[in-house]
Amino acid sequence: MSDNLFGKKIFEYESIIHEKFSERIQNIYCKNFNEIHILTISPEDSNEVSYFIHDKLRCGLVTVICTDERNIENTIDWKDKSVNSKQTINFNKNWQYGFSLRLIFSSETDDIFFIVTTFLPNVDNPAYPSNVVRIPSAIYYEKEIFDMFGIIAQGNPDTRKLVLHERWPDNQFPLRRDFNIKTKNKIRLNKPYKFLKVEGEGICEIPVGPVHAGIIEPGHFRFSIYGENILNLETRLYYTHKGIEKLAETMTLDEALLLSERISGDESVANSMAYCQAIERMASIQIPKKAAQIRTICAELERIWNHLGTVAGMCTDVGFAYGSSRINILKEKIMRINEKLSGSRLLFGVNKIGGVKIDFKPETLGLILADLSQILQDFDNLVKSLHNTSSFMDRLKGTGIISSQDVQALGANGVIARCVGIDIDTRKNHPYAYYQYIDLENIQGIVDKIAYEVELKKRKGDVLSRFEVRVVEITHSVHIIKKIATDILDKSTKQELHNTPQTQNDEGLVIDNLKNHLQPYDSALGYSESHRGQTIHWVMLGKDSNKIFRYKIRTASFCNWPLIELAVQNNIIPDFPLINKSFDLSYSGNDL
Amino acid sequence: MSTEISAYPSSVLVGFIQFLIIIVLAPLLTGIMRRIKAITQKRIGSSIFQTYFDLLKLIRKDEVISEESSWIFRYSPWIIFSATLVVAFFIPILIPYPPFGLGFDIILLLGLFGLCRFFLMLAGLDVSSAFGGIGVSREMMTSSLLEPALFLVLFTLAVTYGSTNIYTIVSHAAEGSMMISASILFSLFGFFIIVMAETGKLPFDNPATHLELTMVHEAMVLEYSGKRLAVIELSQSIKQLVLMILFINFFIPWGLSTNFSPATMIGGLGIFLTKIITLGVLISYIESKVAKWRLFRIPDLIFLCMASGLMGMIFLYI
Repeated sequence: MSDNLFGKKIFEYESIIHEKFSERIQNIYCKNFNEIHILTISPEDSNEVSYFIHDKLRCGLVTVICTDERNIENTIDWKDKSVNSKQTINFNKNWQYGFSLRLIFSSETDDIFFIVTTFLPNVDNPAYPSNVVRIPSAIYYEKEIFDMFGIIAQGNPDTRKLVLHERWPDNQFPLRRDFNIKTKNKIRLNKPYKFLKVEGEGICEIPVGPVHAGIIEPGHFRFSIYGENILNLETRLYYTHKGIEKLAETMTLDEALLLSERISGDESVANSMAYCQAIERMASIQIPKKAAQIRTICAELERIWNHLGTVAGMCTDVGFAYGSSRINILKEKIMRINEKLSGSRLLFGVNKIGGVKIDFKPETLGLILADLSQILQDFDNLVKSLHNTSSFMDRLKGTGIISSQDVQALGANGVIARCVGIDIDTRKNHPYAYYQYIDLENIQGIVDKIAYEVELKKRKGDVLSRFEVRVVEITHSVHIIKKIATDILDKSTKQELHNTPQTQNDEGLVIDNLKNHLQPYDSALGYSESHRGQTIHWVMLGKDSNKIFRYKIRTASFCNWPLIELAVQNNIIPDFPLINKSFDLSYSGNDL
Repeated sequence: MSTEISAYPSSVLVGFIQFLIIIVLAPLLTGIMRRIKAITQKRIGSSIFQTYFDLLKLIRKDEVISEESSWIFRYSPWIIFSATLVVAFFIPILIPYPPFGLGFDIILLLGLFGLCRFFLMLAGLDVSSAFGGIGVSREMMTSSLLEPALFLVLFTLAVTYGSTNIYTIVSHAAEGSMMISASILFSLFGFFIIVMAETGKLPFDNPATHLELTMVHEAMVLEYSGKRLAVIELSQSIKQLVLMILFINFFIPWGLSTNFSPATMIGGLGIFLTKIITLGVLISYIESKVAKWRLFRIPDLIFLCMASGLMGMIFLYI
């Protein structure tokens, strides 16, 4: 993180953008270690800058954040915070506050985020020109912003509702500040959702869900089929929309931590870690090393048990009960380790703003290392026997293929990107917590870069490659945990030997005075790699710096759901559950 | 072997006992097979009598019948059940002779099973739910391929033993030598695949799945509940048992009693139960070792079965 602050790279980027767009930019500065903030004059300018960053600097759009700043004086963005910045500012005094729109781009080569901000004037029907034509992945963000804020993206071809379904009244926008959280809508509109119709002889539509036969989350799938072949699939989600972002605006920082753990129960560590990091970055502090180690171990444990669950689920969905029950046994063992370490099978209550709530005893760590080795060995044997089960492999191979072009265009990440050979991983691209001290490439066995590139090119993007990516990641995670655990154990034995006095900053688990460093209306990004992919949280504090003004969450599921519609095309209906499981997306984390 | 000796009252009694054995033990076999599958998956599994409790529960429950459905949906379970019961009356377990003085032809057996399937498909289509339609189209695809294969296999047997009458085939097989001829061996293989397919076992169908989109048989009966579902499930269990009994009696009939003495009949029953449970265990074991095949690869397996039936036929003449 901190390398960039003193490194040249971030200033190089800053100069490039400043030189090229000096007419279009009001302010440009670096903040929170690795964020370049670019304040543009008008939405059109913002788009131009975004296109440049997206096309020329090859940065992917990670999220679009809209904020209702109509009645506040957001001094942070206006004050000259650019102590480290060399650029001058064209300060524009004729300013009126309105909705702010932040497009966030993440560089794949450097640890840098670009935040392109623009303010929309406070008028009756705010609008801005859509980005969709040049940046396709913006489409879902723009639809979401229309539903929640009523801001129109002019030129977005898809004007159907996304988050709020048709029954919701047209003139109510929940994330605007003047929308009361206690509002109960009596009006229920009865408009249908316009699914894309495929017409022709012999073509049927099958509606599936939102209530399914298994104990899974709700989602509606509309298939257009010809015989067994899927011609088109449209997903309709947001049945579990809980208003998390609105709810967070009524909360203090500590309360919102609990909320962040519950965004999607199986990503509790990843989400709460992203949230905590946002606050910690805002306060410009680094958490104690031991706390970072504990966080990282928990994050990897979470990855292991979820990947195991997904692999087991894939076995269930092809009807291979033997494999699924054996792998579920391993998953259960990991969950028991979770319970032993954190008191919660789902690793709730691990993170705290400024550190962690739990401590690992050296004895338990030793035991767990032995357990993990055993589990890994069992898992390797099981994977071998799965590879030898031809009926299982046959179902996986060539099923649900996605192309790397689609993945790039729609901004998918995590396993979905890696299964087509795009090597993006937040742990590597934007190291956080303890990952910056771990040589991930070494653990992943990347000795020869070119050989690795060739290896990546071989990935086809089918269910089998997603299966293999998950299998490999489980192994890597176990190795990461082993590495960190040995680091912790080494340290504690050394201390016993030398009996050195512990320094407060290095040995505590929490930084207590963190909240004194927070300023009103400050904001920061927090990010982590959950087992599904990149998780981005953006927190903006309120006037009272212990309250949240806006909390924007974007889990990996949000980016990856659109890919399913493409993956199932030209596949047959009975393979859909398998493809869906191989993606392993969260409904709750998507619907928020 | 002659069909004339069957007019005795004792043979009618034996016939009823056979019928009762089939009806009563059918759910037990399903329970045993589920238990075996559970054990291969390192689960404890439910009791082998759970299937009886399930049936009782279903019978007591209320039914929900779609307003869109016609009489076909309401009467199909009873038609299926009665056709299955008729089959159950004529399946030899204790003696290879017709207990009611009537012969029972394989063609009739196939016809009755065809009737069951026909009404099951109609009922699946009748409620006009999307899943019913999908299930029916898949069932039609499999069964239209499966039936020629079944005919081929059964005709090999019929030609070998000189009749299409089940009792004649079974009694001849039971008296025959233990040296199986090549044609019978090929038929055995073909018939085994057919038993797996007809009873909806993996790799053809996964009866344990909760995924609506992958179901075949389950999709057709998805709209049924309560009594009618119980009747369909019982029919399915009976059909499974009947097919397995036929497999045993056609291909490994040794130990079957050839006279009416109670001692040999009870001994024969013991051997029969051992055989049927072994077969059940074998099928469950195979099921746990294989994943469900891709839908459009299932015809490959049926072609294999057809080819083996054909081979059996060819070997008969060379």
